[in-house]
Amino acid sequence: MRLATFTSLVALALLGAVAPASAQTFVFGAQGEPVQFDPAVITDGISSRITRQVFDGLVKYKGATTEVEGALAEKWEVSPDGRVWTFRLRPNVKFHDGTPLDAAAVVWNFERWWKASHPQHDNQVKAGQTFEYWEAQFGGFDDQSIVSAVEAVGSHTVRVTLKEPQAPFLANLAMFVFDIASPKAVERWGTDFGKHPVGTGAYRFVEWKPNQEVILEANPDFWGPKAKVKRVVVRNIKDNSQRLGALKAGEIHGMEGLNPDDVAVVKGDANLQLLLRPTNTTGYIAFNYKVKEFQDKRVRQAFAHAINKRAIVDALYGGTGMVATQFQPPALWGYNRELKDFEYSPSKAQALLREAGRAQGLSEITWDDGKKEPLIFWYMSRSRPYFPNPKEIAEAMAADLAKAGIKTQLQTTEWAVYLDKRKNGQVPLYMLGWTGDNGDPDNFLCYFFCQPGAAREGFYTNKPLADVLLRAQKLTTLADRAKLYRQAEQMLHDDVGRLFIANNQPPLAFAKRVRGYVPHPTGSEYFNTVELQ
Amino acid sequence: MRRYAIRRSLTVVPVLLGVSVLVFSFVHMIPGDPALTMLGERATPEKVAEVRARLGLDRPIWQQYVLYFGNVLHGDLGVSVVRGDPVTTDLLRRFPATVELALAAIVLAIAIGIPIGIGSAVWRNSLLDSLARLGALTGVSMPIFWLGLMLAWFFGVRLRVLPTGFRLESGTTLVPWTNFVMLDATLQGDWSALADALRHLVLPALALATIPLAIIARMTRASMLDVLSREYIRTAEAKGLSRRAVILRHALRNALLPVLTVIGLQVGQLLAGAILTETIFSWPGIGLWVYESIESRDYAIVQGASLFIAAIVVVVNLVTDLLYAAVDPRIKYE
Repeated sequence: MRLATFTSLVALALLGAVAPASAQTFVFGAQGEPVQFDPAVITDGISSRITRQVFDGLVKYKGATTEVEGALAEKWEVSPDGRVWTFRLRPNVKFHDGTPLDAAAVVWNFERWWKASHPQHDNQVKAGQTFEYWEAQFGGFDDQSIVSAVEAVGSHTVRVTLKEPQAPFLANLAMFVFDIASPKAVERWGTDFGKHPVGTGAYRFVEWKPNQEVILEANPDFWGPKAKVKRVVVRNIKDNSQRLGALKAGEIHGMEGLNPDDVAVVKGDANLQLLLRPTNTTGYIAFNYKVKEFQDKRVRQAFAHAINKRAIVDALYGGTGMVATQFQPPALWGYNRELKDFEYSPSKAQALLREAGRAQGLSEITWDDGKKEPLIFWYMSRSRPYFPNPKEIAEAMAADLAKAGIKTQLQTTEWAVYLDKRKNGQVPLYMLGWTGDNGDPDNFLCYFFCQPGAAREGFYTNKPLADVLLRAQKLTTLADRAKLYRQAEQMLHDDVGRLFIANNQPPLAFAKRVRGYVPHPTGSEYFNTVELQ
Repeated sequence: MRRYAIRRSLTVVPVLLGVSVLVFSFVHMIPGDPALTMLGERATPEKVAEVRARLGLDRPIWQQYVLYFGNVLHGDLGVSVVRGDPVTTDLLRRFPATVELALAAIVLAIAIGIPIGIGSAVWRNSLLDSLARLGALTGVSMPIFWLGLMLAWFFGVRLRVLPTGFRLESGTTLVPWTNFVMLDATLQGDWSALADALRHLVLPALALATIPLAIIARMTRASMLDVLSREYIRTAEAKGLSRRAVILRHALRNALLPVLTVIGLQVGQLLAGAILTETIFSWPGIGLWVYESIESRDYAIVQGASLFIAAIVVVVNLVTDLLYAAVDPRIKYE
């Protein structure tokens, strides 16, 4: 009898239906484990998803765009020469630890990022961290930086002086890395601040259970629109299918990292909805210019005409891809709408090869030093938003090339080795891509083409292109800059410097009852607009 | 016996030393620069060099090993390359989750496997025996990840009766006194958390138990069949003992000896299987941790955890051997 009772109790406990997540808690399924939550030193999207909820920057991106609007800074002005920026801070804003957000706190944050001797900079570097984004966006530390002074000119006014105008300055400041942290908390925790983040955001940090989840709760004193759900839990579910399973089972409310094949599954499920992140990512094929054959523009044109991008996008992106005609995705303001893409035409490709003296096609290449080898086309071993199915996409492209008489051998290697080989300019033909950080065209184009001849970019040398890009970096009027970026795209296209294959709108899946989730092109979204119905 | 125990224990030392050399070399033979993996697509060569120097990767490999082994002897498995946290601390925090899962799996495997094996042997060639053998064969050949996904899909997604992963429902706050969730829930008198933890344990334990269960069932059957044909069993039966007494008191005891060894060996299998099971069920133990660390090339964690797992397997095998000698007085190792 006792055994029977016990058994039925256990059975009852075990088979009691899984409790649906409460309406006050929004549970999001992430693809992996965060690194830590100090926005100044992290670089990954999984960690920044959390820090975006806990911290605010001086400025932020507006809705789903990369236009900049005020956040902790209510308004700002810039001097006519584009060098002096004055930010007026929102009054009465407090960090989660109760300390005030004032000019002194903002200056303190800037100095921490900028000055290598700052105790809270130095300790991080000694612990192996780097202020990588500050270095990349603002030219380096101390005297190397484009920033020459940051001062408090009143209790709530901050003045930043630059050595020379920097066009993407505001767009840079809106990046998650430049969110403002509580100086008191950083000083208290030192290098452990990343485990005890304190900002001014709509949510405050509660707990991080390693390999499991991060728990946040609504900040009742938030300066902006108050969070609609009281609690946020971000669960780490590594496997894409398993994450979708958890969503279907009602254990989580939303997720990222959907397999392209599962897009249809989500669309076909009456309880789920699909949201697409506005495209901010481009996949490309790059040539190595140490390969003699690729130095001939007609050969590169033959490649451009041989690949059927439309068919690839239609078949392998689960309906979320778009054909790319240039490096910048269409949402960027430097995008060149006039640019006419190469048409898909195997016969044209063959004609171009014939013209280049390769009537028999191309299957072997010659390196600069005379070494000959079969043409190896390197494809990525890891899925990225711009190439969600790299192997299948590479196979499709290789088949297209073969139709035009270009015979490639597909090869891949472990991701780290792949990046290594690419960085050292050791691969003749390879796939890769880019996801934008801040919505500025400079962030797409300059990293790749401002240093002509870099091994990392397959030794591609286009000095006039680099000049245009460097000029665009220094102008302050958007219209003038946009013109230069459009020109740059045309130059890149005319030279067939690289083949741009596809943009993707990475899909996100949600339960039907989730409302107000606004996917952002940079991948960092605010959860305070989310509600559960 | 004592001499044997000492000698057998001493063999552990060279084994562990060898394991440490192997693990260290394998981890360093994996192609790809951990520094580059850490820094990603945007790394500058200077940054890569800086990180390599910080990790000591620019030194000769033997120097790296000597340094590492010295630290290991002091219980220091290094720091995570990605997060900078001490590996030993993280390891000890995650280990209870793996132990909880492995224990549940082995208990399940023994509790189901041994009775099936006995029944199969006693009613040899019956329908039950055929079904059990077929089941065992299927169990042994079933890939854990497939079975895990199917279990999660069927019980979690279709029927919605069991969770598809994790140790507790999202957002549950249970103070981690020991990190054994069920123990913590019991100690804190949080019965709903205990029931929740049990529910979460069912599917991963079942997935992980399948292979050992099948092996234990097959081994028990074979061993029972062997023992049942012995003369002393016939004598016992001739003496008029009940069938139940013959099987449980006389046959089973002797038949279980080889099963004990198999169970010991399964511990290694369980820890290996835990990598897959934990990944599928987002179970925050050592397996998931190692899997994620392999991906992020956090070689300090991979190295530390592999060494730790190897040490456990070696020690469990040692204990099994010693138990075997203790249980069966006929066995002498000279």
